[in-house]
Amino acid sequence: MGHDPDNFIAGLVEGLEPVRPMRQREGVGLTLLAMLVGIAGMVLGFGMRADLAALRPDAMFLLSSGLFLVLALASAWAALDMARPFVGGHREGWGWTALMAAVLPLAALVEWAADWMGGSPAIPDGDGWHCMAYGLGWGLVTALALVLWLRRGAPSRPQSAGMLAGVAAGSAGIFAVTLYCPHNDLLHIGFWHGLSVVLAGIAGRLIIPSLVRW
Amino acid sequence: MIADEATLARLAGLAQRGDKQAYAALLGAARSWLLRFYRRRVLPAQIEDLVQDTLLSVHRKLASYDPLRPFTPWLAAIARYRFVDHLRQVYRAEEQSLDHDLPVDSEEEAIAARVSLERLFAALPEAQSRAIELVKIEGRSIAEASQSTGQSESLVKVNIHRGLKRLAAMIERA
Repeated sequence: MGHDPDNFIAGLVEGLEPVRPMRQREGVGLTLLAMLVGIAGMVLGFGMRADLAALRPDAMFLLSSGLFLVLALASAWAALDMARPFVGGHREGWGWTALMAAVLPLAALVEWAADWMGGSPAIPDGDGWHCMAYGLGWGLVTALALVLWLRRGAPSRPQSAGMLAGVAAGSAGIFAVTLYCPHNDLLHIGFWHGLSVVLAGIAGRLIIPSLVRW
Repeated sequence: MIADEATLARLAGLAQRGDKQAYAALLGAARSWLLRFYRRRVLPAQIEDLVQDTLLSVHRKLASYDPLRPFTPWLAAIARYRFVDHLRQVYRAEEQSLDHDLPVDSEEEAIAARVSLERLFAALPEAQSRAIELVKIEGRSIAEASQSTGQSESLVKVNIHRGLKRLAAMIERA
């Protein structure tokens, strides 16, 4: 570095190639496609829960899967937008959605605590880790799409972008799992499904920054 | 910056489409803006390097500029990112003074104040800001910074670490 400023600028100008500005809608399209791949993989590979296949879905399923889907969309939107840096940008909206989704594990905790005080604490089913593992696995497709988008852009806060991409991927993955998972109990959904999103967020925060730093 | 926001946004849009003349004008304006942006927080001998480093990032990441948004906040985010990156690099510079007296054009005062590095530093606790200033900007040793601030050497290191972390988290804050 430290070249003559005029020569330096002339060199950059000489090397200019037309670029397509990154549009948020393209990132959204890419992410939705990745989510659809995850959903298709889960449903085609493992089948669909019976009540959904019969078009008579349980209310708890509708509520929990809806929350995870909205969280996936809101956090993916924020992560995608972080590829285009901007001083004064506000991307805190996803946090309210995360708080809303956090009601599920919190409600599960309250239910567990109430049972515990009643002397018969329920414990989360041991097979729930399957849901968590599938959620994390299928979430990788969404994570890949978001990482590709962020690498193309210039995220000025790679750790936040990584965490958001992780939460989006985890929520998208667990949404795909809810279409298969037959459980309707709060403890299973709050613990295992919620844990999947939390772990994905932590993994995103730890792993993705090194992939998108520029 | 000499050109106004609308002109800069137009130049950046043209540059994205491959217009070299517009790009040269844009980079020239960006360079002038960056020189003033960094001058209070970077030693004079290092400013040119940092400006060129930032312009290189502008060149590589031109697609991340949204022509529907103002140009300066985008450039400022890139400049802040490169600045924090620059602070992370350990170096000890020769003793040089920082220029605190250069005037700011009145027409751009508002936007400059909004995106300035001063504003970023103002959001740091005094102890962290002082430790970063002494060690990372003025190039003093940890022992000298410790003596100057009255903080223990380990506290100076902790304050630098926490301060840089906080600066990185605030890059897009207006």
